[in-house]
Amino acid sequence: MMEISILLNGTQTATSVEPHETLLIVLRRLGLVSVRFGSDTGETGSSAVLVDGRLVNTDVMLAAQVDGHEVTTVEAFNTPDLDPIQTSFMVTGAIQSGYSTPAMILGTRALIDRNPDPSEADVRDMLSGILDRETGYVKPVEAIMRAAAVMRGDQTEPFEPAILEPMTDGSNPVDVDPSDQPPDVSYAVPRVVPSPDVPEMSVVGKPEIKVDAVRLVKGNPAFVDDFEDRNLLTAKVLRSPHAHANILDIDDSKARALPGVHAVLHYKNTPRVKYASGGQSYPNPHPHDQVSFDDKVRHVGDRVAAVAADTAEIAEEAIRLIEVTYEPLPAIFDERDALLPGAPVIHDEPDTEEIFDRERNIVHHIGANRGDVDRALAGADHVFEHTFRVHQVQPTPIEPHISVAWLDADERMVVRTATQVPFHTRRMLAPLIGRAVKDVRIIKPRIGGGFGAKQEMLIEDIAAHLAIATRRPVKLELTREEEFVSSRTRHPQTLTFKTGVNSDGMLVAQDLYVIGNTGPYGSHAYTVQTVTGLRGLSSYNCPNKRFNCDVVYTNIPVAGAYRGYGAPQAEFALEAHMEDIAHQLGLDPIEFKRRNWVKLGDELDIAPHLGERAVAEDELDEYPRVSSCGVEECMAQASRAIRWHRHADPAWRQPADRPNIRRGIGFAFCMHGTAIPFLDMGGCSMKLNDDGSFNMLIGATDLGTGADTVIGQIAAEVLGVKLDDIKVYSSDTDITPFDTGAYASSTTFISGTAAKVAAEAIRARIKERAAKMLGVDEPCTIELRDNTAWTADGRSVSLEDIALDSLHLEDQEQIMGTGSYVSPDCPPPFGAQFAEIEIDIETGQITVVKLVMAVDCGVAINPMTASGQVEGGMTQALGYAHCEEYAFDADGRMVNAELGPYKIYRADEMPELEVYLVQTMEDSGPFGAKAVAEIPKDGVAPAIRNAILNATGVAINDLPFTPERVWQALRADS
Amino acid sequence: MSSIVAYHRPNSLGEAVELLAQSGRSILAGGTAIVPEARSRRADGVELIDLQALQLDGISETEGRLTLGAMVRLGDLATDDRAGELINDLARRELPSAMRNQATVGGTVASASPDSVLIAGLLVHDAQVEFHDGRTSSLSRVLSDGTNGAIIVAVSIDPTGSGSIVATGRTPADLPIVAAVARSTDGGPRLAITGASATVVEVDPSEPTAGLEPPSDFRGSSGYRLELADTLSQRVLKAVS
Repeated sequence: MMEISILLNGTQTATSVEPHETLLIVLRRLGLVSVRFGSDTGETGSSAVLVDGRLVNTDVMLAAQVDGHEVTTVEAFNTPDLDPIQTSFMVTGAIQSGYSTPAMILGTRALIDRNPDPSEADVRDMLSGILDRETGYVKPVEAIMRAAAVMRGDQTEPFEPAILEPMTDGSNPVDVDPSDQPPDVSYAVPRVVPSPDVPEMSVVGKPEIKVDAVRLVKGNPAFVDDFEDRNLLTAKVLRSPHAHANILDIDDSKARALPGVHAVLHYKNTPRVKYASGGQSYPNPHPHDQVSFDDKVRHVGDRVAAVAADTAEIAEEAIRLIEVTYEPLPAIFDERDALLPGAPVIHDEPDTEEIFDRERNIVHHIGANRGDVDRALAGADHVFEHTFRVHQVQPTPIEPHISVAWLDADERMVVRTATQVPFHTRRMLAPLIGRAVKDVRIIKPRIGGGFGAKQEMLIEDIAAHLAIATRRPVKLELTREEEFVSSRTRHPQTLTFKTGVNSDGMLVAQDLYVIGNTGPYGSHAYTVQTVTGLRGLSSYNCPNKRFNCDVVYTNIPVAGAYRGYGAPQAEFALEAHMEDIAHQLGLDPIEFKRRNWVKLGDELDIAPHLGERAVAEDELDEYPRVSSCGVEECMAQASRAIRWHRHADPAWRQPADRPNIRRGIGFAFCMHGTAIPFLDMGGCSMKLNDDGSFNMLIGATDLGTGADTVIGQIAAEVLGVKLDDIKVYSSDTDITPFDTGAYASSTTFISGTAAKVAAEAIRARIKERAAKMLGVDEPCTIELRDNTAWTADGRSVSLEDIALDSLHLEDQEQIMGTGSYVSPDCPPPFGAQFAEIEIDIETGQITVVKLVMAVDCGVAINPMTASGQVEGGMTQALGYAHCEEYAFDADGRMVNAELGPYKIYRADEMPELEVYLVQTMEDSGPFGAKAVAEIPKDGVAPAIRNAILNATGVAINDLPFTPERVWQALRADS
Repeated sequence: MSSIVAYHRPNSLGEAVELLAQSGRSILAGGTAIVPEARSRRADGVELIDLQALQLDGISETEGRLTLGAMVRLGDLATDDRAGELINDLARRELPSAMRNQATVGGTVASASPDSVLIAGLLVHDAQVEFHDGRTSSLSRVLSDGTNGAIIVAVSIDPTGSGSIVATGRTPADLPIVAAVARSTDGGPRLAITGASATVVEVDPSEPTAGLEPPSDFRGSSGYRLELADTLSQRVLKAVS
């Protein structure tokens, strides 16, 4: 140990540190929890603080290095009043999960101290050191520019949405005048195109500040690792170096003998209980092909053993001391190889049931059909077939998976964990640790991003097993490398579309065959691939459709849920396929697609035949139909913004002064779903407090998306109060009502409706009480607005008086309401996605210049958070299309399990992002809302692909568009 | 058990040299590379010698050359007018902001990364590496032979002339797969290439790819990198001509 002395947030502070300890470790030990772990190698920037006024990463700086220096964390600004930087982040919607917000605020402080009038380039350069997987950087840049302006004393306007004139009548296409210009407002400003069908509301549709904003800008304790746990042990996991091997023996004696080690768990001392880790509704789809610790490993990074020890260093040392005898086995990585005769069988254990074809590694075969595809193809005027390959990528939330497990005073298992699915986790964890569901409690605090990776019971069982074994609290946090090799990824797929088209340009048959690669465990294999079929065959009207899919086991890291589920794969293939058909028929791609895409009132004809609630064609009375559709307004707004007319101008596509550059613009039609009908369910309970405010308990899982805010707005609208009068709490399985969780674009639609139902229930009781207090016979004539109950003749009583009366004065009661909701509907949001690119035809380098997306998400309950969702979603999709990719050596070891080599976009290299929110009134949604979270993931890859085609005439059917892949394609074409 | 078993902060160069003379010790400059590397190193504990107290963080001009102290932060180099636009730009490109505020010139040279655009820039600016014992060696030689246990105290460059970089990466700010950096001088252009050899190399502008045998990795095969080296060299030479 050594003593260091630092001027920490203005106070001279002496502390003891180990030579190996990073500044991150020491600051967190000192209680400065705004400094957060994202990686060990400095790339995420979530751990950044100011040292002598400069932004530096504490994960790659030893604590000893700052001896004698000044260190500033965001806690230095922890005064009752907010700093102008903090305020700017709040009002511009720059905060989503808030995990890295303290680092951004500190970087802003350093930047403005040095340069009070920074340019946008200066701001983006500062942000280059802080990766953001959530916002697309648009609103943080705006926040920083605004903060600088405020601190200079410049006048700033309120940050509010821009309300735009509609360009269409809502249903028919228009020709966009090339001279017509999009609105001249900052990209960060939500651009809302209103619908006359949507009534004016008080709270819904307003850019309310997130309900958790203060806690996040101040860096207050909010996330799993931010809370003190006495006697906490640290867990580490021994992971497989082999892609496929039997474990012949484990000798843990040396590890157990190491002082400070409290438990070592593996297959020899842990109950073998079968499960599937995907966080899904009961009953979890088979096969249940996992156990907590197995005697076989199936991918590099698979679990072998786990240790709980006094410190991370001791746990790591113990891991090294575990002696494992492996019997390596042949491995397969490509989904096409898994089906070949003689391929090694990955699940040969007898106790995994319901594998579709074990010998061929086919975990699921999925099929759906409408009409007679073979006959229609045989009779079609033209038949087109194209095959596409999509790759493996990772959600990379900046907060890795982390769980803390302990036995409470009643000896119940409590797990505070970064999860999107607390209730599924409770149900799935209980049997693995031999406990009843009632004896398990899952607490979800703030989550630093999930994007599907945390729709999984991924590590909670390890922490819980160790907590039981040690009878002490145990923390398990994945390293960034573990996040890559042992978390969950997007399924690689090989997709083949075969489409019959008649001479009039109308589709007559679509046949989609997919080989999906789930890695070695089923997880979300069945449902992701059903969504691939659903999304691949829903966008276009066609009387004959067929989906066939083989989902196979391989030895790559496990695939699972990732925002968009199986849709981005399908939409890439579909929109590329349709583009190529149009070109081969000599048709304008947009007109060809428009002729066929689904419109208001059209049937959603494949949806009922796929998924957990699938029915056969002859069992269905009526297909669901599109009940709201703003796609033509989306087309008009987005094509004007991207200046679509340029795509047909040869002089623009081939700039005379840049001979190696070609330009192109690509388009993708987007259509997604909103929740899973008859399955997704959420609950809400509310109560009225003395001052007329409300507590709201919801099981919904805000991952940074703003769900708590949006759901609070819905309730506030019903109750005629301000958002600040609704105190939202989510989620804790002991306290809050059930919710399936944050996935399937369901939260606003399902959990929001549950909140609306609960609020309506409590409103009804408030009205009854108010009617009695005001001497009105008909409670239904009472209106709630401005925190007051009003009679038709203008008399009133405040909610506070109603609350005091009901709680304390007369006929006392707790006014409360509950609600839950499951939907029979799945109204699709629509979107128009455009991409402008430049391609260097000599090097293959693609530069994405601009992405424009116009989205019909119904009524955006909060346009600030909704547009932020689109910006962040497009940015993730941009990475999928362009630069993110798992790379392996010949033995299946990931060679780029580190941010940087695994490339995600940073602030100083982003294309322009322009987002439009096109309102429609979706009657099945709360106050007209549909989903918005996942549709931005769908269209970017095909739009870029089609832009490359527009620029060069070369169609590339494999993702991502990295330079050598594009260069090879261009060479092959020439 | 610990990966880093001791931390030293010498107050003089002599003290640093003395500390370094013992085995199992390494120099700590900014820490962006060695801290994660040392912390992930198993069993073999290392002692780190932090040079921050040696006042090696100055930039000075002498007889037409610019001397960059080994502990000059890349963030400072990126904004120092005396270094010229090309070096400013390359220091900025080398790392994102927070890492740039920590990483140093000496650490960058010592890392000898084959992908370092800053090293390429230093090469074409006739970089000479100064060691604690007064020896001076060309950067090219240091890249090929290593520092042989000596402490880098400064890197001097000829800051004159204009230069340019042309690079290909997955994204605009990506670590380039291959980059060509050139600078015009009275004696003709000087050219260095990243990503096409085991280290960044200065090459003959008339035969830029002669003798290059690029390694392959997931970002680019050997053949692709060689093509890039040729294409980007021609472009950057044209830009500085």
